[in-house]
Amino acid sequence: MLVYAARRILGMVVVLFAMSAVVFAAIHLLPGSVAHMVLGEYATADAVAALELKLGLRDPILVQYWRWLSGVLHGEFGQALSIDQPVARLIGGALERSAVLGGMSLLLVALMGIALGIHSAVHRGSLSDRVLTMMQYTLIAIPEFFWCTVAIIVFAVWLGWLPATGYTPLADAGLLQWLRHLILPVICLSLGLTAHVSRMVRSSMLEAIESRYVLAARAKGVPERLVLLRHALPNAMLPAITVLAIDAGILIGGIVVAETVFSFPGLGSLLMYAIQNHDIPLLQAGMLVVTAVYSLATLVADLASAMLNPRIRLGGAH
Amino acid sequence: MADILLDIQGLSLRYATANGPVTALDAVSLAIPRGGAMGLVGESGSGKSSMLLAMLGLLGKGAAVTADAARFDGQDLLKVAASLRGRRIGTVFQDPSAALNPALTIGMQVAEPLTLHRGMNWREAMERAEGLLAETGIHDPAAVLKAYPHQLSGGMKQRAVIAQALGCEPDLLLLDEPTTALDVTVEAQILDLLDALRARRGISLLLVSHNLGIVDRICDDLTVLYAGRVVEQGPCARVLAGPRHPYARGLMAAMPVISHAKQRLTSIEGNLPDLTLVDPGCNFAPRCPFAVPSCAEPQALAGEGDHRARCHRATETAALPWPEQDQARVSMEAAPERRPLLEARGMSRRFAGHGGLWRSLDWRGGWPKLAPRKSVVAVDDVTIEVRSGEVLGLVGESGSGKSTLGRLLLRLVPADAGQLEFGGTEVPLRPSSDFCQQAQIIFQNPDSALNPHHTVQEILKRPLELFGIAKGAAAGAEIDRLLDLVRLPRSYRTRYPHQMSGGEKQRIGIARALAGRPRFIVCDEAVSALDVSVQAAVLNLLSDLRAQFGLSYLFISHDIGVIAHISDRIAVMYRGAIVQQGEAAELLRGPHHPYTASLLSAVPVVGSARSQAGNRIRLAENAMAAPGEKGCSFASRCPQQLGSLCRTQVPAQRRLSNGVMMACHLPDAQLETVSLGLS
Repeated sequence: MLVYAARRILGMVVVLFAMSAVVFAAIHLLPGSVAHMVLGEYATADAVAALELKLGLRDPILVQYWRWLSGVLHGEFGQALSIDQPVARLIGGALERSAVLGGMSLLLVALMGIALGIHSAVHRGSLSDRVLTMMQYTLIAIPEFFWCTVAIIVFAVWLGWLPATGYTPLADAGLLQWLRHLILPVICLSLGLTAHVSRMVRSSMLEAIESRYVLAARAKGVPERLVLLRHALPNAMLPAITVLAIDAGILIGGIVVAETVFSFPGLGSLLMYAIQNHDIPLLQAGMLVVTAVYSLATLVADLASAMLNPRIRLGGAH
Repeated sequence: MADILLDIQGLSLRYATANGPVTALDAVSLAIPRGGAMGLVGESGSGKSSMLLAMLGLLGKGAAVTADAARFDGQDLLKVAASLRGRRIGTVFQDPSAALNPALTIGMQVAEPLTLHRGMNWREAMERAEGLLAETGIHDPAAVLKAYPHQLSGGMKQRAVIAQALGCEPDLLLLDEPTTALDVTVEAQILDLLDALRARRGISLLLVSHNLGIVDRICDDLTVLYAGRVVEQGPCARVLAGPRHPYARGLMAAMPVISHAKQRLTSIEGNLPDLTLVDPGCNFAPRCPFAVPSCAEPQALAGEGDHRARCHRATETAALPWPEQDQARVSMEAAPERRPLLEARGMSRRFAGHGGLWRSLDWRGGWPKLAPRKSVVAVDDVTIEVRSGEVLGLVGESGSGKSTLGRLLLRLVPADAGQLEFGGTEVPLRPSSDFCQQAQIIFQNPDSALNPHHTVQEILKRPLELFGIAKGAAAGAEIDRLLDLVRLPRSYRTRYPHQMSGGEKQRIGIARALAGRPRFIVCDEAVSALDVSVQAAVLNLLSDLRAQFGLSYLFISHDIGVIAHISDRIAVMYRGAIVQQGEAAELLRGPHHPYTASLLSAVPVVGSARSQAGNRIRLAENAMAAPGEKGCSFASRCPQQLGSLCRTQVPAQRRLSNGVMMACHLPDAQLETVSLGLS
């Protein structure tokens, strides 16, 4: 298990290095100069030259990359171009708010997805299973920005229960106000993913329920509740965890959309801002952070499923 | 009768399906006295497993179980089944790898019923579980308690399953094909265990099996099921010595028996009846060679005393021989030519352990060191020849490398070392299309070997076009010829695999192998997935085709009965090496390699299963050889082991006086004693 974890962590470091190169290359190797990208089409030659000098854009590309990478390794992401603030501080604050949003969404997805999946599997073919199935396919098919718009119209505009946009820090406005701003984005982000996870849990749970070992447990006289919780669920959770990790990646994409619609000041909004304002250092750092978060989610999922799976945890003799 | 523990009268089981109600069990009656053992036999689809589930009350919602009476120790079984499960009725299912939960430790699974039914806490239950594991013959129960199923061998897993069924001291043990997934030497150990448990605990057994030898070994009474009906019932010894119902007779005659190796097998033509249509008369009549019009009348289970058969002509037909339906086109005894067709010398193949570079790093001691890559030897320096027109039988337990050797001989798997000659010319690692055409394979499981999206026609046309044998209309004629050869109706060319029975699918597999007009076919467990009566028909077909076209087979099987039946010569494989090979009759007569002897003695033979069990050669658990010792691969399990000689030196192949080659250090005189238990 330790070997497995060490291998996976090392693997993740390799992936992050590779991603840093890809992120850097995507911006610097594209046709057109970075300085023009920043300053716009009609920038004077002098302004471009000054900026290129300032950003060190005339150095060989590998030197530039090394300069950026060693900065990143020291926690130095440099200065944002469009706002006079260090990139690290901008990203840090946004990341924290997005993490709250994403974390709450993922928790909701996991709890609801697994609970609904188990319910559908146990009551397969029942009315509730059929209704759920229909809803799940609908939710998977419709993208989250649609729900964001609908939610704003219904709950903010018509009913006026919840704020349509914005964010208030927990320390300033208190728990209630903080939560009121989170409810709509969290629910909109969770709908599709909950449907996805519950479909997966349903099928892996069904497979477990129809397995020989569950039949054998029933033949041992194990009560049905324990059959499900002790015998079927641990085996059904393995695929569910893998799906959750994949969904964590999808969630990151969803966050960019939801934050834009709800004007939520998180990483997604910051990335959009960086793109719109040609803020290269901010964009690079933001993309690298997103990659890191996704790698971390995958790593956690892999380690968790390895913990649950004795074949990986202990290695196999047979 | 004596004290009856289980008494079931007229139990029926119906399912509602899209095609109408299916009658899976039709008025089945059976009784087991306290301490008695009943065998329930029949082919797949006969309803044997459904019977067990119906008794346990574990059939799904769509199933309707009714019975005139179902009494377990005086209680109504159908009403109280839920309260008996795990307490008074223990169950052992077929495949222990599937029946044990992969996510729970063996200890938890064995102790669980004790915590539920005996009110023990987990600590007490674990202690008791350790005792149960010891009772089922597990050597290190404390370690096994903490192990997960994937860490144990098949035999150990089945012992653990039996231990978990025994925990609450049940009165009745239901056994559903308890040894079918196990190797024959392991099977014999489990049968010994069941026998011992019965003697020690006075437990009653209901044993479901398709293997009559196993039933004869364990049971007092026997019930034969055919398509949901009891067709014959009575004391085991009397039923097996003189089966009265034609189906039971056919089943007995279809089994290949080592002692009558070269006799043609009888097969039962046709398929199971459609269970949606209840036949008021005899439901075996459409397949019965003795059927007469009056068989359409309802039949009663009748006979002298307690040996009863559901056939009104049982007494009349008893004296009649089983008619030969498919005439052997050519005699079985076509003397094989002596010329070798395929020669393999020093064939070896290793499979790398899991993973690449990462796995081969040794992380003990903090820093990674490059450890030598672990690899598994599948085939180790095998020299073998298949002669023109001969059947070479290759027998051994699972994991012995039989299938890998078969694939090496076809160059489907590249060899690490060794030469291969076919028809006198060297076969390169990437063989010519000509070699591929002449050397074909038939796989074990026709379900996965045939593409479910292709019709029979498409399946058979591909090799014809690939090898340039026939195209267009000529291909159509060729497909008809192939279907004739495997005795399927020409109308089957438009069928998909799922529209055929297992035996029919395997015939398509054979037809596909024949399409290239090969000279050599590897039959890789080609009949292992089939029922006994179907197996007999396919074996007969293979014999006929071989005689007709002078084909050579490498016939791979774990079933030494089948091997003895079909082979001219036999090679016995153990852990990648051939330990013995020679003319079939000579090899079977002996002297035997200790491993061959243990294989032969482990097969329960109808009629002598019990007496034979006493003489069985008992092997040690499948232990790995001590690291660093590279001797005889069988040494660690061999009851005749000579000590360091066997453990440190690989025995050379030597020729015995009867021409059989053997790799064993034992001197000739001692080899004779190895075989004594078998005569």
